Amino acid sequence: MLFWQILIDGFAISALYALGATGFTLIFGVSGVLNLSHGAIMVAAAVAAWAAAGLLHVNAYVASLIGIAVGIVLAFATYFIAVRPIQQSKRIAESEREIFILTATLLWGIIIQELVAYLYTNNAKTVLPIVEGVVTVFGVRTPSNEFFTAAVCWVVIGLLWLLVNKTRRGKAVLAASMNPRGVTLLGIELSGIYLTVWAVYGLLAGIAGILLGMFLGVSSYSVGPLTASAFSIVVLGGLGSVSGSLIAAYVVGYLETMTAYMISPAYRSVPALLLLIVVMYVRPQGLFGRR
Amino acid sequence: MRAMFASRLVWIGIAMLAAGALLPLFASGYVLGLLTVAFYTAVFAMSWDLLFGFAGEVNFGPTFLIGLGAYTAGILDARLSPHISIWLCVAAGAAAAVIGGLLLALPALRLRGPYFGLTTLVAVLLLQSFIVVFAGLTGGEIGLSVPDVMSIDANTNYWIAFGFMAVSGAILFGLSRSAVGLILQASGQDSVQAGALGFNVVKHKLAAFVVSAFFSGLAGALMVFYMGTASVGTFVDIAVGVQVIIAAILGGRRTVVGAAIGAIFLISMGELLRPLGELATLIVSFIALLVILFFPDGLLGILRGGARS
Amino acid sequence: MAPTTLEVSGLTKRFGGLVAVKDLSFVLRGGEILGLIGPNGSGKSTAMKSILGVEPPSEGSVKLDGIELAGLPAYRVARHGVGLVFQHSRPLNRQSVLENIKVALLPDRLTQLVAGADADAKARSIAERVGLGAVLDRKPPTLAFADLRRLELAKAIARHPKLVMIDEPFAGLTMSEVAVFSDLIREFRDEGRAVLLVDHNVKGVAALVDRVLAMYLGEKIAEGTADEVMRDEKVRRVYLGGALGTAARPETAFHDAVPLLQVEGAGVVYGKALALQDVSLHVHEGEFVSVVGLNGAGKTTLFNAVSGLVPYSGAIRWAGESLKSRSAASIACAGIVQCPESRELFGDMSVRENLDLGGNALPDDARAERLEWLFGLFPILENRQAQLARTLSGGEQQMLAIARALMMKPRLLILDEPTLGLAPVILETLSQALEKLRNTTTISVLLGEQNVTFALPHADRVYVLDHARIAWEGPPDRFEEEAAAAYL
Repeated sequence: MLFWQILIDGFAISALYALGATGFTLIFGVSGVLNLSHGAIMVAAAVAAWAAAGLLHVNAYVASLIGIAVGIVLAFATYFIAVRPIQQSKRIAESEREIFILTATLLWGIIIQELVAYLYTNNAKTVLPIVEGVVTVFGVRTPSNEFFTAAVCWVVIGLLWLLVNKTRRGKAVLAASMNPRGVTLLGIELSGIYLTVWAVYGLLAGIAGILLGMFLGVSSYSVGPLTASAFSIVVLGGLGSVSGSLIAAYVVGYLETMTAYMISPAYRSVPALLLLIVVMYVRPQGLFGRR
Repeated sequence: MRAMFASRLVWIGIAMLAAGALLPLFASGYVLGLLTVAFYTAVFAMSWDLLFGFAGEVNFGPTFLIGLGAYTAGILDARLSPHISIWLCVAAGAAAAVIGGLLLALPALRLRGPYFGLTTLVAVLLLQSFIVVFAGLTGGEIGLSVPDVMSIDANTNYWIAFGFMAVSGAILFGLSRSAVGLILQASGQDSVQAGALGFNVVKHKLAAFVVSAFFSGLAGALMVFYMGTASVGTFVDIAVGVQVIIAAILGGRRTVVGAAIGAIFLISMGELLRPLGELATLIVSFIALLVILFFPDGLLGILRGGARS
Repeated sequence: MAPTTLEVSGLTKRFGGLVAVKDLSFVLRGGEILGLIGPNGSGKSTAMKSILGVEPPSEGSVKLDGIELAGLPAYRVARHGVGLVFQHSRPLNRQSVLENIKVALLPDRLTQLVAGADADAKARSIAERVGLGAVLDRKPPTLAFADLRRLELAKAIARHPKLVMIDEPFAGLTMSEVAVFSDLIREFRDEGRAVLLVDHNVKGVAALVDRVLAMYLGEKIAEGTADEVMRDEKVRRVYLGGALGTAARPETAFHDAVPLLQVEGAGVVYGKALALQDVSLHVHEGEFVSVVGLNGAGKTTLFNAVSGLVPYSGAIRWAGESLKSRSAASIACAGIVQCPESRELFGDMSVRENLDLGGNALPDDARAERLEWLFGLFPILENRQAQLARTLSGGEQQMLAIARALMMKPRLLILDEPTLGLAPVILETLSQALEKLRNTTTISVLLGEQNVTFALPHADRVYVLDHARIAWEGPPDRFEEEAAAAYL
């Protein structure tokens, strides 16, 4: 019984982590940015959906779409406010750009987080689920929502894979992550690529946020842990490697679920952290890292 | 030496110290208390600046060192009081931070690029988990209360913090301007060239890390005996680390004095805006973001009017 | 000073599978200047860095006065009395000139709080000696290029090293500055130090060196006095190539009203260094123009200016219209496609994917057609379609880079040093492909090469680029008599 519970819960939570981490990795791979406002964007998208359902009384689908739209808008805002100005600033030395961008995205994330807390309080909110009800699988009563979450995550990841590997634009984005200069030499404007990437990122973060909101609920307190977990997963899997993030997400997701069920929920993040330490020492570029 | 006193930075620092020294004459206990915390935070920030501004290494988890210092001192006192003097606990805290710093830096300095920073971040997460898991020893998420404090008088506490900040600041600033500080800057700016000039870069960066760890841990330990408690939220949380980093960059990196200014600014602003409730953090973060985007040389850069080339 | 001896024997440096330096041996004594000469990729810079320990040698021994240096970390080697001037200046930008020199004087001690009473005086005297007396309090970003190089010299000699190594001593300097620097280097030698100069141009250092050691593809190919080496058969072949046949068409054969590409008085400055100075050239539609020049002459800079990758002064026109305000990507779309020296392939993508990306602006059927044509031009790429680009050999990668550029349907194809590091057999294939291009299409080609054997046979006209300026222009058949002597 416990086995199936862990298997199912772990799968759903890992899928959610995977979606969030994929977006995070994508941005790093192409833009070179570790976006520390990641958790804030996810939470803002979820809260927007909740607010839309509660205040505008729209149905669950529309609310979700509004939330995703907010995610995309915030992603663009992050690029134009916290990332691009620093990348183009002549007053900051090349070697210091990274720390400045990190600090700027961090501050931007705090601003979003505090704005959400101010407008809608710190209380946990759940987003109106699209799928309701409970199913019993292998003797375990599970909310149907969980299966919906896992399914959506994987569909989106699948679509992303298709986009990157099968469409021209997607291939150009992938090429840009390998060699930006090469892409320019082939007549493709990098500025367009970056816009595409941040839009996709916003979409991924938005969807992940909404699903999280439906599944577990969010509050402004979730922001830090969300960014931290995306961060750890991406480092574990290897910065810039999407397949690495997917695998690492499942490793971390299952480690957490198993710990929560078999030892105690309070210790859920410990084994993953220990694993991260080991990996950092033994193989700092992560499981599949390139850079 | 003479060149050092001719520097504008030194005069700004001295002016600040003079102002700070006169403050208890007419400020309330509340303001003194606020500034006491600000002064300890200033030492956190100055230690961070030595590492970032000079050695060129970004420590994303300064609270690893601060927390080690604070909790070691706190736990020793909680367990062994009254058989142990608080100053011994403080010394132990500083030592723990140095040892922890060495253990972290030795492998971490071999990593390049973002991986060094990531390792430091992970160290904080690990410390945090450790504290939560071993709640019996550390007080867990509720926190640890220590039976002794340095003093209950606001003035005394202010003077201790002020004196500590002044001395630490002088030492850190002096180091940054010294010959070894120059070697550190060379190591941070161009480690290949520094090697070609005959400097063991790793040795110097390690030393910088140890100095940073010492002052961070010491400040953390002292602050425990000011507040009377130690908790994850005040000493270990990533949010505290973020505040340290922002303070140093906001104030003006690579100046040591700037880090202190940044810390005092941040804490004061946070307090001044407290009546606004949740908006306080928002506004402070917003101002910090504006400064970073438009004045990358920080508050000190604005003060000096960019006249310095 | 007691006479110094540097003994290098069997020095070998491998980077993975690539052997950058193979079994290099020589002796250098105090009071001598040795020139290590070779084209790009010959291993000369790597050899120098291996001696210092910046890149530890894979094999072999480096003995300075009997002390084995091979395997020691760079800072230990430096303390044994070795000073190195890097090819690109690396000052501490936040410190003054005086402080930069003082750092070089400091011992490697953690407890070194003060610089020492005489450090200031010593630093000043060193600065005076190299000619930096007037700029002691200035910071590097405000210094002229030559002064930055002086600073590098000052740092290297600060602790009176027994061995001084200088990488490309005269790059970016004017003629008068070269004379001053030569005098300084001669002084180092006359003080009894051993001096090793690394350069790609024999003529540039001929007047200064006592001996020359020529390298090619990691190995020593000649050693002797400057004259002996310049007359050596192997050296001449490497630099000048063998017999040259030409198939040049006169300019009147091209019928465009205005030359397709016009470069007028272009100048490029990188920081302080003058990378391109008042360069003018033109290419007609359908013409094949070769720009011949050694490393550092400015070919890549010129091409980057045309492709919009670096800012420039002067004018560059495409079919009569200025290119100045256009982005690099739009210039590529307009028909000027560059295949750079570094190739810029997408290593983790397959050959086919790289080529498809080249055809990103074409509809599917046009793209497929173009691909067919390219597979005809480079059959080996068809065989290796599914292979990842980074697993290809050097020659195959170059072919892929050129093919990918051709997928863009360029009107002007710019090729920057396509033969760099390639074996002669591959050069044959590339040469044939270029000939086919010339004969079957109207694509204009601008080829930049230091390998004259490759550059001349296909060219209609040749420019020689030397030290950022155009030194000669003319048809290939006149090159040997008029320009070759200056070129070596």
